[in-house]
Amino acid sequence: MDGSLWQKCLNRLENELPEQQFNTWIRPLHAIEEGGALRLLAPNRFVLDWVRDHYIDSISATVTGMGDPAAPRVRLEIGTCKPKAVPATMAAVSAPRPPAPDRDARPNANHNLNPAHTFSLFVEGKSNQLACAASRQVAENPGNAYNPLFIYGGVGLGKTHLMHAIGNLILEGNPSAKVVYLHSERFVADMVKALQHNAINEFKRHYRSVDALLIDDIQFFAGKERSQEEFFHTFNALLEGQQQVILTCDRYPKEVQGLEERLQSRFGWGLTVAIEPPELETRVAIILSKAEQAQVDMPHDVAFFIAKRIASNIRELEGALRRVIASARFTGRPITLEFTKEALRDLLALQDKLVSIENIQKTVAEYYKIRVADLLSARRTRSITRPRQLAMALAKELTRHSLPEIGNAFGGRDHTTVLHACRKIVELKESDARMQEDFDNLLRSLST
Amino acid sequence: MHPQLPLGLRLGDHARFRNFFAGPNAEVLAALRALPGDGARMVYCSGAPGTGKSHLLQATCAAAREQGHAAWYLPLDPLLAPAVLEGLDQQELLCLDDLQRVAGHAAWEEALFHLYNRVREQGGALLVAGDGRPEELGLALPDLVSRLHWGVLYRLRELDDAERLAALQLRAASRGLDLPGDTGDYLLRRCPRDLPALFELLDRLDLASLAAQRRLTIPFVREVLLRNR
Repeated sequence: MDGSLWQKCLNRLENELPEQQFNTWIRPLHAIEEGGALRLLAPNRFVLDWVRDHYIDSISATVTGMGDPAAPRVRLEIGTCKPKAVPATMAAVSAPRPPAPDRDARPNANHNLNPAHTFSLFVEGKSNQLACAASRQVAENPGNAYNPLFIYGGVGLGKTHLMHAIGNLILEGNPSAKVVYLHSERFVADMVKALQHNAINEFKRHYRSVDALLIDDIQFFAGKERSQEEFFHTFNALLEGQQQVILTCDRYPKEVQGLEERLQSRFGWGLTVAIEPPELETRVAIILSKAEQAQVDMPHDVAFFIAKRIASNIRELEGALRRVIASARFTGRPITLEFTKEALRDLLALQDKLVSIENIQKTVAEYYKIRVADLLSARRTRSITRPRQLAMALAKELTRHSLPEIGNAFGGRDHTTVLHACRKIVELKESDARMQEDFDNLLRSLST
Repeated sequence: MHPQLPLGLRLGDHARFRNFFAGPNAEVLAALRALPGDGARMVYCSGAPGTGKSHLLQATCAAAREQGHAAWYLPLDPLLAPAVLEGLDQQELLCLDDLQRVAGHAAWEEALFHLYNRVREQGGALLVAGDGRPEELGLALPDLVSRLHWGVLYRLRELDDAERLAALQLRAASRGLDLPGDTGDYLLRRCPRDLPALFELLDRLDLASLAAQRRLTIPFVREVLLRNR
């Protein structure tokens, strides 16, 4: 807790040092006055060194300059301190914080699951059907259905939500099950800590004793060989014991560079499922569901409008929705289409700037390694027609240009040509996985 | 008579909500005042240089501390190392400024991505500011761009001249200085109109006015500007 001496020093230093420096390096330090010493706690080694190198003289001089003959010695240490008791009025409104994680080498014993991430709040659609079905099976029959379950897909598509949903359902079926969710970075950090504290055996025991281990974003294991090795052994031990392993990744296991081959191949032993970017209807359903959860009245035309404009991923979709809701609460105005356009005007302006027909043509041409001129030309070979049709379909999806305008931008074609192209692409996406993938890749790179 | 030597003190002029002119940015201000609270716990603020991001982030920290919360303000800078972020997830409110300065630095981006995850896991609040929206900063890690969308995104708007004058007068008042409207207009017509430059000018006028024991009249201001030229 900040003592009065330190507070006096702060008041003085605040007026002597440049404001940003004071606010970054001095003000947030926690001070403890005891036994003739003023202990200043820095959150990490870097901050401690920085303060010692740049400010310790000013701090010491200020402390001794306070005129107290028994001025304490200043000591810098690494550590954190519980924040001051929150005044009663604040305490009533602020939620209790979860306990701070262990500062020692023991891995966090909490399961870390977000209770809000359940299957019932997961909006299913074509893009995630398979992943969702597999996840349910795993949750209902952990260790026996598919092991490991490997869920992959781009950022913000709901991988983590599904993973938590599995964990929550396992716990629902068996409240005493030991389910542990963590981000791969946490696994690495815990392991490093265990090595430093000579507690690697405890670390191993902990992770091998779980009923289900859920590790998020395993692409961050790339290049971290020691962690991979440790994980490899943990992974094998769990599989042998029929304990469930669930992993997520931003790409297919074999495409993660810097990941050992034996891991890549083992990750494929169970079931590998992809989550694709959601199609329009699913995006609308997600918005309506989220709005309902927030107890907000969401007109369908607004939901369609947001869903149409934000095609890249669910996190951005939710971000846009949150902004609309926040603005509505701030202004006290109802959520209408006009209001939404106003609240999201920065986002929309940015999109308009990024997604022009020219931009789409350029991106598609680069993707297929052809020239933009080919797209606009009269050539009708398959290698040109498909990209051209795809570019037209993307222009319809991502811009607000009319069909005649789009046709015109493609070498003066008729609007029926554009219509035909769009239908053709819908058809091909159904029958040709490759086309679906190309479309999704381009959609993502154009709308993020 | 010798001019009085002014002290190098700027009492009462630290970055706080009360000396930030809200103008068209009232909604952003309200959102930041609510931090670290329990509403949206992740806020991203974009705005052109000089729109007051640093002021607001520091004010948010100061207000949170007054309520007894542990808060940290950190302007990101490639001259520091990503290790500076370690353990900051323990704060109840963490304010990171100048995100654009570390965009494209792989180690920083990854460290920030992990920090986002940890802060969320810990139930803390995170306020981040940058010169543009996440997509505009040249970030290489899509995971980080996506995390920046977790909370609510706001953009700070630039002020028009009438609002600039009001902002300047508020800033002057917070240092106990009276800036008459006509003097303010005079400055806006003759000096660079971006707020940081105007505030810096106010610093100089403040010192000059203290030293000369004169009020900020147009003739006095003209004299100072001529002298400084």
